[in-house]
Amino acid sequence: MAYIHVDRAVKFFPREDGTEMLVLDGVSFDSKAYGITCLLGPSGCGKSTLLNVISGLERLDRGRVEIISNHRDTGARPPKLGYVFQDPRLLSWKRVEDNLIFALKGMKVPPSEWQERVHKYLDLVGLLEFRKQYPLYLSGGMRQRIGLARGLVVQPEVLLMDEPYSKLDQLTARKLREDTLSICALLKQTTLLVTHDVEEAAYMGDRIVVMSARPARVVDIFDNPFSALERNLDDVHFIEFKKKVLQTVLNLVKEEV
Amino acid sequence: MEKQDKALVVPGEAESFDREDAPVRPSRKAASRRKAAWDNSLRIGSIVAIFFIWWILSLIFPPTLIPKPWETLAEAGAIISTGNFFVEIGNTLRRVLVGFGLAMAVSIPLGILMGTLRRMESFFEPPVILGLTMPGLIWAVLMIMFFGLTETSAYAAVAITIFPMLTISIWQGTKSIDKDLIDMSNVFQATPVMKIVEVILPQLISHILAAIRYGLGLAWKVVVVVEMFGFSNGVGYQVVRGFNVFSMKTVLAWALTFLIVMILIEFGLIGWFERSVTRWRPRVEAWRR
Repeated sequence: MAYIHVDRAVKFFPREDGTEMLVLDGVSFDSKAYGITCLLGPSGCGKSTLLNVISGLERLDRGRVEIISNHRDTGARPPKLGYVFQDPRLLSWKRVEDNLIFALKGMKVPPSEWQERVHKYLDLVGLLEFRKQYPLYLSGGMRQRIGLARGLVVQPEVLLMDEPYSKLDQLTARKLREDTLSICALLKQTTLLVTHDVEEAAYMGDRIVVMSARPARVVDIFDNPFSALERNLDDVHFIEFKKKVLQTVLNLVKEEV
Repeated sequence: MEKQDKALVVPGEAESFDREDAPVRPSRKAASRRKAAWDNSLRIGSIVAIFFIWWILSLIFPPTLIPKPWETLAEAGAIISTGNFFVEIGNTLRRVLVGFGLAMAVSIPLGILMGTLRRMESFFEPPVILGLTMPGLIWAVLMIMFFGLTETSAYAAVAITIFPMLTISIWQGTKSIDKDLIDMSNVFQATPVMKIVEVILPQLISHILAAIRYGLGLAWKVVVVVEMFGFSNGVGYQVVRGFNVFSMKTVLAWALTFLIVMILIEFGLIGWFERSVTRWRPRVEAWRR
C-alpha cells in the first residue's frame, strides 16, 4: 500500500526582476492508495510543479510531500517512482525493449528480472510483438503506450502521469485512457494523473483534486462514485457526476474573470 | 495500392496492431533496390565527370603541366604494383590514424563537458577558438622543431591541428541535445555513465560523424606537410621526390592513390559505421511527391 501525502505545500518561483512569485499556496491532499488520483486545474496552475516536487526534481519552500508506504521504512530509501511524460520521451536509438531496460537499469533492478518484466509490461500495453522495433517506426499512440510500459515496468510505489493524453488525437487518447484505467486497476497501481481536461479527470480519477489557477490552492476534492470498471462516458449518472466537477471548475474560471 | 489499404482501416481501430503492410513488402524492396542503383550511378557519374574535365584540360596544356588522366592512372598502377606502395601508404595512414585517434580521445569528453558545464565552457572556449585559427603548417613546423624528425612530431602535429575543430563540433552538438531526455533519465535515476553512453553520445552521432570526415581530411593534409619537411618515407616524401624531378605525373599519381585509399575508408569503413549506428532513424524523404 502506498499513497501520496501532501501537507500545506508552498513553493515560490523567482521572477526576472528578483521578486518571487507564489506558485503553490498551501496545497494539501491525500491521494488514493491503489487507485488513480487526478490533479485537475487550469493550464499553468502549478500542477506540473507539484509533480516535479513529488518526483524530487524540485524542492518545496514550506510544507511536506511524502510517499507513505508500508513496504519500506519511511526515510530508509527514496520511494520508487514511475513517470509518464506528456511526450513519450523515448530513446529513439534503442529498441522498444531496451527503452524499458534503460529504466530498469537506472532503478537498479537486477538484470535477471529484466526479460520477464519487459515481457509482462509490454504485453499489458499490447505491444509485445513490437519489442524489437525502433520507436520512430511506430505511431504516436504506440509510443505513448511504450512510455506507459516504461513507467510501470519499474513497479513503482507511485506512478506519476503528466497530461499523457494531451498530444494524442481524440480516438487514440480515448482508447489509451480505457486501457490505462484497466491496467492500473489490474495492478492496483497508485497513480497521480495531472490533467486540465474535466472529462478525463472524471473518467480516470478515483479521486479528483480540483486546483485553482496560480497561486494553486485545493478548491474541492471529489471521490468518484463509480468504480474504475463501471464508468461509462455515455451513462446518465456518470454525466451528472462529470457536470458536478465541471461546475466547480467553471465557478473557478468565473471568479478569475 | 498501399494507400487504399490504409484508407479502409476504421479510425478507431487505427491502433490495432496487426501489420497490414506485410503483402506490399516485396515491391517496396524492389523500389529500394532501384533507388540504390540510382544512387550508385550518380556517384560513378560524378567521378567520370571529374576525369572528363581533367582530360579536356590535358588537351589544352602541355603534358608536363597536366598529364593525360590515363597516363597518370597507369603511373598510379605502377606505383601500386611495387610492394613499396603499401609501406608508404601504411606509414602515412598510421600517422593520420594515431593523430586522429589522440585528438578524438580528448575532443569527445572535452566537447561533452563544455556543452554541459558552464565553467568548462568559459575556460576552454578561448584556446579552442584560437586553436581553430592556427594554420596546420605552423603546428607542423613547431612540432618538428620540438620533437625533431620523429614519429611523435607527426602524431602531435595531426592531433593538435584537428583537435579544435573536433572539439567545437562536439561541444556545439552537446548544447543542442534534447534536455527533456536528460530529465527523463534523472527521473529513472540513470547513472552519469548511462547518461553519457546511452543518452548523450547517441544524440551526438551525426556531429561525431561529420567531425570524423572533416578531421580525417584535415589530418591527411597536415601529415603530408610533416612528411615533406624531411621524413624519408610516407606519401608526402614521395610527392616531394616527384616535385624535385618536376614530374607532375608522379605527384598526381601519389595524390591519386592516397585519395583512393581515403575514399575506400570513407565509403567502406565510415559508411558502414554510419549505417550501423543510425539504423534506428527512418530516412528523410524531403522531396518525395
